[in-house]
Amino acid sequence: MTLPLPAMPASDRPERLLGVRETFGIDADLHVPAFAERSEHVPEVDPAYRFNRDVTLALLAGFRSDRRVLIQGLHGTGKSSHVEQVAARLNWPCVRVNLDGHVSRLDLVGRDAVVLREGRQVTEFQEGIVPWALQRPVALVFDEYDAGRPDVMFVIQRVLERDGRFTLLDQNRVLSPHPSFRLFATANTVGLGNLNGLYHGAQRLNHAQIDRWNIVAALDFLPADEEVAIVQARVPRLADDAGRALAAAMVAVADLTRKGFAAGDLSTLMSPRTVITWAENVEIFRDPALAFRLAFLNKCDPAERPVVAEYFQRVFDRELAESHALGDPPAAGAVPRR
Amino acid sequence: MTDAQRRARRQQRVEALCAAALRALAGETDLHFRGRRLHRGERRLPVFAPHLSPSPDDDDFGSLRGAADGIALRLTRSDATLHARCAPESAIERWVFDALEQFRVESLAPATLPGVVRNLRLRHVRWALACERDGLTETDAGLLLYTVAQVCRAQILAEPVLEQTDGLIEATRGALMPRIGHALAGLRRDRTDQAAFAARALAIARAVGDLVRNAVADAGERNATEGEAAAERRARRALAAWLDPDPPDTAAGADGLAAPGSRPPPTDAPPYRVFTRAFDRELRAAEQVRPAELVELRARLDARIAAQGVNLPRLARALQALLATPERDGWEGGLEAGVIDGRRLARLIASPAERRLFRAERAEPRADWVVGVLVDCSGSMKPHAEPVAMIVDLLARALEMAGVATEVLGFTTGAWHGGRALRAWQRAGRPAAPGRLNEVQHLVFKDADTPWRRARPAIAALLRGDLFREGVDGEAVDWACARLTDRPQSRRLLLVVCDGCPRDTATVLANGELLLDAHLREVVLRREREGIAIRAIGVGLDLSAYYDFSQVLDLSEPPGNRVFAEILRLIEGRRAR
Repeated sequence: MTLPLPAMPASDRPERLLGVRETFGIDADLHVPAFAERSEHVPEVDPAYRFNRDVTLALLAGFRSDRRVLIQGLHGTGKSSHVEQVAARLNWPCVRVNLDGHVSRLDLVGRDAVVLREGRQVTEFQEGIVPWALQRPVALVFDEYDAGRPDVMFVIQRVLERDGRFTLLDQNRVLSPHPSFRLFATANTVGLGNLNGLYHGAQRLNHAQIDRWNIVAALDFLPADEEVAIVQARVPRLADDAGRALAAAMVAVADLTRKGFAAGDLSTLMSPRTVITWAENVEIFRDPALAFRLAFLNKCDPAERPVVAEYFQRVFDRELAESHALGDPPAAGAVPRR
Repeated sequence: MTDAQRRARRQQRVEALCAAALRALAGETDLHFRGRRLHRGERRLPVFAPHLSPSPDDDDFGSLRGAADGIALRLTRSDATLHARCAPESAIERWVFDALEQFRVESLAPATLPGVVRNLRLRHVRWALACERDGLTETDAGLLLYTVAQVCRAQILAEPVLEQTDGLIEATRGALMPRIGHALAGLRRDRTDQAAFAARALAIARAVGDLVRNAVADAGERNATEGEAAAERRARRALAAWLDPDPPDTAAGADGLAAPGSRPPPTDAPPYRVFTRAFDRELRAAEQVRPAELVELRARLDARIAAQGVNLPRLARALQALLATPERDGWEGGLEAGVIDGRRLARLIASPAERRLFRAERAEPRADWVVGVLVDCSGSMKPHAEPVAMIVDLLARALEMAGVATEVLGFTTGAWHGGRALRAWQRAGRPAAPGRLNEVQHLVFKDADTPWRRARPAIAALLRGDLFREGVDGEAVDWACARLTDRPQSRRLLLVVCDGCPRDTATVLANGELLLDAHLREVVLRREREGIAIRAIGVGLDLSAYYDFSQVLDLSEPPGNRVFAEILRLIEGRRAR
């Protein structure tokens, strides 16, 4: 089996310096090295992307000073796209690898495979993704790092060190990392396993390895203003003032669900991704309540829906069909409406 | 379902929703209602302002929502220490000061939450109309306080005064304005600055306090015919109705059935004592009933259960999903995917098409739990004996199918009104504060080592009416927990099925009402801290005053799948506290 990865471009060093303020819209007097040309593995730039200050600075430190950066955050907060968008603006080739419980050492390091050479079958060593990336100016991103099996993840133990060489046992070769090789990872948990019941399949990681990550950045939920801006950027129809008010209301509902989750009232919560989906559904269905039902409410446990309906009433001043208020018998001594 | 039961269920439902909204709006995870009062953790919160204590019985859901939203704003937007430092001493001033601070935080409701704004307004309207309806505005002092509330709220929130009451407060407002007008004018401007606002509010509170005291004294002078003192007393009583922020406890229903309603938590409890344990017994329930009768009772129970059609396997699966965790348990071979099984490679050579060469680790669900069901066998439970026995029997069976060890326990007393323990106390010369005075009887219907099949007749003894007498809940919970602690299982759950607070006439007569209540609370708290999950099933009664997790069940109809769904949710008890 051959990894279908083509050769790298001619320039393998970053050649220019970009100002952080101009490139990322973050108030910091920093410059980061960047590649002059876009090559095949550079991700597409999303002009609407909003950078979170702390996480971006952590990622830039990773690119600039060759630090290993682990980003932890709840689902849908945009961890992976954050790395991608930073790489896109630096023209830095970026390869994402999705880890899961079945990724094995052979996948990462390489294996002997049967290939055709001059019409004859020969056995040949095929490099895995780690040695391949290690020798190239590539930012390697392990997505869902905590889904990888902890015993397998030990193969990157040496690579996590700066200048850490990589020994290919199968070939008796020692690889030195390319000066522009970078390593990032994203994870939902910090390696303590599925503590809150949200992340089924998250592994408990070895802390000797967690320790080797130089920078651990947390990308939790954003301040409401930033989240509103992201929603507006993603859904152009919400760009005007009325749209802003609607987006702010959506973010307010999301915020209530997150607090409800923290208090144990809900077993699901709205991620920024859910809010964006909701906003997109509003474009399709023209009704925030219906769009809300389709984007989030139907994902909730039926027994929890009345609570969500309470949150919705607070923000939108409208009752959902699940609301207790609709089925509530009038109280014995309630004052009649005049 | 009786009216009282329906009310209790509605109250619990509504309180759960309001508390959930409150937690989300305030961003605090440990707010909850206990016995109708808002608590933060184990501490009770004060009633912040007069209109924030609607009654779940009399007020509509919108009102309760408004009160919850008001409390959430108060918790997030007001500095409690600053408020306490500035607060005046006297009750009238304090009332005005509290109300003004509440209006201030309500004016700060964010514009992104229009639903909150509406709920607050609705609550205010309801409160105002209820004041008028209940005749609180009929005295001069009452009308004065009412007018202050109306005028100040209108000023601070920049909303018009309630149309319906405009005429009522017209004259009083005219008299009031010269005294408080100056401070009033700046209230809205200072609403974001609590300290500056407090200074103005204090000025208003003082002025109003003087006016109210004059009004009460005037009421005495004017009604000379009636007798000055009597009229003044009446005016004071009317004022007290205004100033008492705690609503009367309405848990006791009109029909007398809910008489053992949850009493509010006592402030200071006497230490728990037992006068004598000489007559306490622990009995096996099956031995208290003739075997022939047990067979008869069992047949009756089986017939009822069969008629009910509860989906037992489904219940067992749900319980297993709730309580069991997967554990690695050896390997499973002969799979088409997984890890290669070396022992099967020979088969591949012999038959190249063979694909079942892999093996994988097997995970088995294992529920390392012991669940105790503790049934209150007090006299008031007698009418519910049949549905309770059905629930207990089905639960025990389903739990066993799910691989959970179960105990079915009960508690009652050996006699009515104290029995031999009371007589011993009387012989001893009736010393003061004797402690519990009764023959406690703890019943074992099924212990964890007896399989359900063998315990079937014993469980039917729950139908035997003459076991039901009085109940000392605290000691029973303690006893059941001790039994669970002795079991090897690592996790323990106690389900208490009861219909009221502890009741034992002799003990209450000799010690006052608080002794048994306080002991039950203390035991539940202590045992929960020890790691035993305690859940209470209230038979038509809200038990939140005693237990952190409780559910009011409707047993007017025989228990079906719906009742078990509620019990499952209760066992789940997900809400972190």
